[in-house]
Amino acid sequence: MQSTATYDHDPASTQLLSRTWESPPGVLNWFTHVNHRQIGYRFVVTSLVFFALAGVLALIMRLQLISPENTLLGPDLYNQLFTMHGTTMMFFFAVPAMEGLGIYLAPLMIGTRDMSFPRLNAFGYYVYLIAGIALYTSLFLGMAPAAGWFSYVPLANIAFSEGRGMDFWTTMITFIEISALAAAVELIVTILKQRAPGMTLSRMPLFVWAILVMSFMIVFAMPTVMAGSVLLALDRAFFTQFFVAAGGGDPLLWQHLFWFFGHPEVYIIMVPALGIISSIIATFTQRPIFGYTALVLSLVATGFVSFGLWVHHMFTTGLPHLGLSFFTAASAMIAIPTGVQVFCWIASLWGARIRFATPMLFILGFFAIFVIGGLTGVMVASIPFDSQVHDSYFVVAHLHYVLIGGAVFPFFAGLYYWYPKMTGRLMSERLGRWSFALIFIGTNLTFFPMHQLGFEGMPRRVYTYLADMGWQDLNFAITLAAFVLGTGFLLTLINAVISRSRGDLAGSNPWQAETLEWATTSPPQNYNFRHLPVVSSRTPLWDQPDADRLECVAGLRADRRELLVTTLLEARPQSVLIMPNPSIWPFLLSLAVGFGFLGFMFEPWLFVVGFALSFFMIVGWLWPKKPWLDGEQSYDQSHNQS
Amino acid sequence: MSTTELNDARFVVDATDLSRFHSGSDAPIWWGIVGLVLIEMSVVAAFVISYFYLLMSNPQWPPADYPVPELMLPTVSLVLLLISCVTMYMAGKTLNKGQVTAFVLYTVASVALACVVLVIRWQQFQNFEFSLDQHVYGSLVWTISGFHFLHVVSAAIGTAVVAILGMMGFFSSTQRIGVVVDTLYWNFVALAWIPFYLILYWVPRITHTAGG
Repeated sequence: MQSTATYDHDPASTQLLSRTWESPPGVLNWFTHVNHRQIGYRFVVTSLVFFALAGVLALIMRLQLISPENTLLGPDLYNQLFTMHGTTMMFFFAVPAMEGLGIYLAPLMIGTRDMSFPRLNAFGYYVYLIAGIALYTSLFLGMAPAAGWFSYVPLANIAFSEGRGMDFWTTMITFIEISALAAAVELIVTILKQRAPGMTLSRMPLFVWAILVMSFMIVFAMPTVMAGSVLLALDRAFFTQFFVAAGGGDPLLWQHLFWFFGHPEVYIIMVPALGIISSIIATFTQRPIFGYTALVLSLVATGFVSFGLWVHHMFTTGLPHLGLSFFTAASAMIAIPTGVQVFCWIASLWGARIRFATPMLFILGFFAIFVIGGLTGVMVASIPFDSQVHDSYFVVAHLHYVLIGGAVFPFFAGLYYWYPKMTGRLMSERLGRWSFALIFIGTNLTFFPMHQLGFEGMPRRVYTYLADMGWQDLNFAITLAAFVLGTGFLLTLINAVISRSRGDLAGSNPWQAETLEWATTSPPQNYNFRHLPVVSSRTPLWDQPDADRLECVAGLRADRRELLVTTLLEARPQSVLIMPNPSIWPFLLSLAVGFGFLGFMFEPWLFVVGFALSFFMIVGWLWPKKPWLDGEQSYDQSHNQS
Repeated sequence: MSTTELNDARFVVDATDLSRFHSGSDAPIWWGIVGLVLIEMSVVAAFVISYFYLLMSNPQWPPADYPVPELMLPTVSLVLLLISCVTMYMAGKTLNKGQVTAFVLYTVASVALACVVLVIRWQQFQNFEFSLDQHVYGSLVWTISGFHFLHVVSAAIGTAVVAILGMMGFFSSTQRIGVVVDTLYWNFVALAWIPFYLILYWVPRITHTAGG
């Protein structure tokens, strides 16, 4: 074998290398793609589709609330809409969007050619897609879940929510967590084991750190909600008594299981956003971020502390006071790492010549919106205050400020920032500014008055209200403002579509950024980097702006998919990993697993069928190709097919 | 060695002679399985914590009229599972020395042990004197037992495939990462029985005595 091997340091091997890493074209082959950029791009695009769908649901709800005793929506449909809005935004937009950015960017930022388990990556995407389609099918059939995005029992249990809606929720939430967990594991492994030689942990880009922390949080938080939703599904299908007080169960257990996941979930969304912010601030000030070590430690601390906060969602459930005090203190403690980060960013911006392009505008918007959300957060962290405003529109205002400020603004900043890398073209700056202005104004006009509505006693999740409550003027204004906000988002979507073909050509590094994803063409070639880079600082492209002159790795084969494995801390070259080729098995497996989950809702024994089918798909996926004794090649190729 | 001259000064790392084989923590798949085990451990922890939470919110545990669980068969299961960890360890050990036949035998023995455990567990399902829908105690016992049962089934099937591949001559002392990660998962499934065994069979005995 050795005599015929072609290596990628051979200048004539470019064509071969490109062919080796090619994702086969064609409609049917679409289902075989495993490349991390393809999968990451799909995650981002699909999550934006769900973002748009959930946004439309929100606008319909606002139309219902535009005047008192409106009859546009009935109570049941309204319940379905707010449940779907919350569920979609949290599970089908925010997490997959951030993971998608991570899947696309992290391998590029650490200088490798793909992720550790490309087929698992593809599997995770199809699981996500199937879960989303199934959930929206339930909505269009008029039987969507209607118990809120956190599905509190006893309301969500079979006695009070008959019908398929909640079954869709429990099974699809369990199902989609498989996708999140798969992505998390392989992001962790890729980041820890495939960094460019020389990229020690202390030289890793902050965005990659953020993705790493997010992934670890997913690994420890998501299993709890999976366990919880499985127990709820069992309660509904087999009448187990986990959350049924009459049978010795405890409804409050559901809240614990849900919020033990649900609070870290907020940070699972926010931590990658913090990474985006650090990346963009460094680029748009053209100098290294202030306090790199402090920022990394803050990210990690945020990850840890976020697991000690969940009870602050349950202040009004009658828990012991000592417990409540503990969680109040923990909630206050998270302000420390968050504060450290904000001060580092301020120091980075201080005295710098800031370039106010659209990504940077969204970051500045983040500061304003998120600070307001943080302030109301301090308010609701106080138990007496929380008891007053709990389940009122004040909380709706607070959570939208935090989530839109903490996740949507940075995500859109990231979208404008990395769009040229993904597509080769810049998004329109003019439309971008308009979009930012409308989103910023729309967010404030929509959600700020909701604080007041909360004080005036308007409860959340009501489908209508009486005229003499005095809430109609504010509600009318909010509905108008919601359309301003929607228009702002729409402009960015239009911008993204138009710029795909009409935007200015970006070149490899349009923003003069410092990290490795900008060292390759936009969009990158099949093989990501012609030669895998070697780094010796945190800012490789500022040390050597000519990407063609970066130090690099020789001796990887061009005639099969090879990439470099490095040691965990120091990133010293350790071995070479042979990667799997495109495959249809991940898609088939996702169908089998999806069949098992969806079947379970109608006939529980179909789950066993799904289990058996999945087994065959997994064997097909992992089965080594003959002849495997020919030499070194066959072995790893066949056995690293995850 | 590479036949191409590396005369370009940019090439500061040469991967030509780095190993293409992995046998442990140098392999990404090893870390991937560790990740899977971490996830599953979080699920196990969620079940164990839920168990104690529900125990504490009930005045009597197990509830009145419920039998105190017998120890005999689950203890046998525990011993068999622990032995199967040893046989899996031996399988890896013999494979390292290149003794493929012994490797296959140890793997088959492990699968056989798991199958005995499955038969015993299945028998216990038949003999539960309570259903899963009367009281949360029964729900817990059924669900946790079922959860572990499914995992033993998966580990047994997976290892059976490894044994078959072994018979076909796929594994050797250098080609063994598949065995290494399978053993990793096997150990998790076997050892996960320890916390479940304690909460399902010992805790009710203790709370029963303590509660009178």
